[in-house]
Amino acid sequence: MVAQYGKEPIQHQFNPYSDNGGTLLGIAGEDFAILASDTRQSVDYSINTRLSHKIKVITPDLSSEDKKNKLVGTNKSILFGTNGFSADGDALTEDFEENYKFYTSNQNKKIEPGFEFLNNGNEDKESSMTMQSAARNVQHILYGKRFFPYYVHTILAGLDEEGKGCVYSFDPVGSYEREQCRVGGAGASLIMPFLDNQVNFKNQYIPGTNSTERKKLEYLTLEECLKLVKDAFTSVTERHITVGDGLEIFIINKEGVRLEYHALKKD
Amino acid sequence: MTSVGTGYDLSNSVFSPDGRNFQVEYAGKAVENGSTTVGLKFKDGVVFAVEKTITNKLLVPGRNRKIQTIDRHVGCCYSGLIPDGKHLVNRGREEASSFKKTYGKNIPLYALSERLSQYVQAYTLYNSVRPFGIAAIFGGVLKSENGGDNKPQLYMLEPNGSCFGYKGIASGKGRQTARSEIEKLISADDFDIETFSAKDAVKEAARIIYLAHEDNKDKDFELELSWCSLSETDGLHKFVPKEIYDEAVQYAKEETGLGEDEDSEDNDEDMDE
Amino acid sequence: MNHDPYSWGRPTDSMYGQYNSQIANAPTSLEGNMASGANQHTTSPIVTGTSVVAIKYNNGVVMAADNLASYGSLLRFQGIERLHKVGKTTMVGISGDVSDMQYLLEILDELTIEHNYDNDEYSDNVDELQPDYIFTYLANLMYHRRTKMNPLWNALIVSGVNSKTGEPFLQYVNLLGVKYSSPSIATGFGAHLAIPLLRKLADSEEEAQKLTKEQAIQGIKDSMRVLFYRDTRSSKNYSLAVIDKDSGITYDNDVNVEDMSWKFAKDIRGYGTQKV
Repeated sequence: MVAQYGKEPIQHQFNPYSDNGGTLLGIAGEDFAILASDTRQSVDYSINTRLSHKIKVITPDLSSEDKKNKLVGTNKSILFGTNGFSADGDALTEDFEENYKFYTSNQNKKIEPGFEFLNNGNEDKESSMTMQSAARNVQHILYGKRFFPYYVHTILAGLDEEGKGCVYSFDPVGSYEREQCRVGGAGASLIMPFLDNQVNFKNQYIPGTNSTERKKLEYLTLEECLKLVKDAFTSVTERHITVGDGLEIFIINKEGVRLEYHALKKD
Repeated sequence: MTSVGTGYDLSNSVFSPDGRNFQVEYAGKAVENGSTTVGLKFKDGVVFAVEKTITNKLLVPGRNRKIQTIDRHVGCCYSGLIPDGKHLVNRGREEASSFKKTYGKNIPLYALSERLSQYVQAYTLYNSVRPFGIAAIFGGVLKSENGGDNKPQLYMLEPNGSCFGYKGIASGKGRQTARSEIEKLISADDFDIETFSAKDAVKEAARIIYLAHEDNKDKDFELELSWCSLSETDGLHKFVPKEIYDEAVQYAKEETGLGEDEDSEDNDEDMDE
Repeated sequence: MNHDPYSWGRPTDSMYGQYNSQIANAPTSLEGNMASGANQHTTSPIVTGTSVVAIKYNNGVVMAADNLASYGSLLRFQGIERLHKVGKTTMVGISGDVSDMQYLLEILDELTIEHNYDNDEYSDNVDELQPDYIFTYLANLMYHRRTKMNPLWNALIVSGVNSKTGEPFLQYVNLLGVKYSSPSIATGFGAHLAIPLLRKLADSEEEAQKLTKEQAIQGIKDSMRVLFYRDTRSSKNYSLAVIDKDSGITYDNDVNVEDMSWKFAKDIRGYGTQKV
């Protein structure tokens, strides 16, 4: 048909999003939490890079002791992971970091003796942000762009105020929930059911009860969790084209944050 | 100060009956008391020299630069109210940038002088503003491949907005000594601008500042030197490198007999370490 | 000439129906925008540059891009350089829309001028423009523009050497604001054709650190040859930049694809100069 002036014009629209693949996984244990992701960044069928970092450790200053022990964060750290459209992921991470800096430098600041009045008597608290506050803040950032969303699945991991491991997960517009475990991104639909079964013991029954009595919930050990994470990623690497190259696992416990790297298949 | 008390000196934009704008003349006074600045043209560029009287022993030597860059190829120094000068330089940078955006080449010096003088002149027209308390010397050389003519240009812009091109010029406290010294230099029989090199010009500029300082001998000062030359800086405005700077200072001291018996200069350099 | 379209004559109405007089009276895009108050944003590139390719080696980075700007399938401008020096140790390679590239160059020029105002090279507090400064600036600009739904239609590769640490630098950002770093990076067709060759040379930072300058240059030259074979919007003539920690930037804007073999073409009709 010949295009005519006065009729609806054909609209060319710029698509501001892309899918950069990858998978993000968080598990909370009793006194630790894990956040892991693959390091591939891709678009369509091309691998942009084999080493991108989708998780950022947002941490108070490290002591020289921590550095000597090769820690990458303190036990007050927030492990901040994003997955989806990487430009938005990076922007979200920077936004949150900025908020974190403002929050920690205004609240609970350490004050020289004699100047406590400057700080409403909060001087004994260490400079940090609780996971609960961090999560609520992330909701505000995400929902602030409700009508032009950050196209990412976000997972935070850390220790809560009682020192228990915790994982918060978010949808692109800020709905969030504290969970025992969560997978986001390309491999979510492949790994999540596996984790439901292995972490939350879904569909596991006590043998001999004829599937009437559920297996009782109990915390997994760190070793068990790490095994799950590695199995999950090697498996999803086999089945999903945007997952692979490398695996970064951040582990937070009362000692601090430690990073493990494992190679994944590069095909 | 015949104007004082007549009321005609209280506001800009008001002429006195004999046709003078006193506010602008007072701005000229601010310049006359300012630090001595010299601009000198040579074969393929211009040199700027500034006398910085040390107003406070705590100031860090070699810092607190007074000479500024307007565009890559344009330098600027001024005597009078320093913040006024900084503001003018900012305006110059905006003009240079907008010229480049519009025409895709660096701003020629004559265009810059025209724009800056119009800007300064506007500050003599309204009673809500005060004139610039500076005389600004600016100049440089625009390479032919950048749309220039390879010829150095040097201007001085005064508080009333008038701006003229010079072979060499000085303003500030020591201007009279300095100007007559420049005149002497360039009207000498053996002077030929085509053989007057960048390094010669730097030396002479330094000497002139030292000479102009003689009336003000009790105060310590620091010399600042910058240049813009086709042969030495590829047409860019830069501060003079240390070796050449030291050489020029040495020469200036020898020629003027200044600073040889007193070693205050050396002391300053020691402080740097 | 009579400019009134009504008097030009046209096929009979019985053939095409009545003439829609709105066509002749249609506003120009500028008038149209003023009338609707709408801003026009780029929705597709017009004159474009094809791939930029780059690879790190043990002492720096090698980067190349051809000197062609295409208007659709028309090879429109044959002397457009797409690698640009910014500061002392950085080169920016730009593919995509050429007018947006020239806009970026204006901005980068202003950036360097403003940076130099307060950083004279003889003071001991000089802070030179580093590749990562320039990259961060560009990445923020690209993401900001995409967020305004008014992107700069380009993919950029920033390569260089940090003049303080000596560390080679290589990073990519595109019109969406997507950014990444890798031992080898290529935009456009290069991502499909050159990257496999370059990853064979160095697939990790460790391998890139073992790569010599000569190997890297050869890898880039091979890539440019393959791109010339297979990318219809590429040209034989290209620019090559080497940013080395010790010798600084060497830039040649007149390199030609060498060692081509068109042997396969001799029996194929349509190639070369056979008669019928």
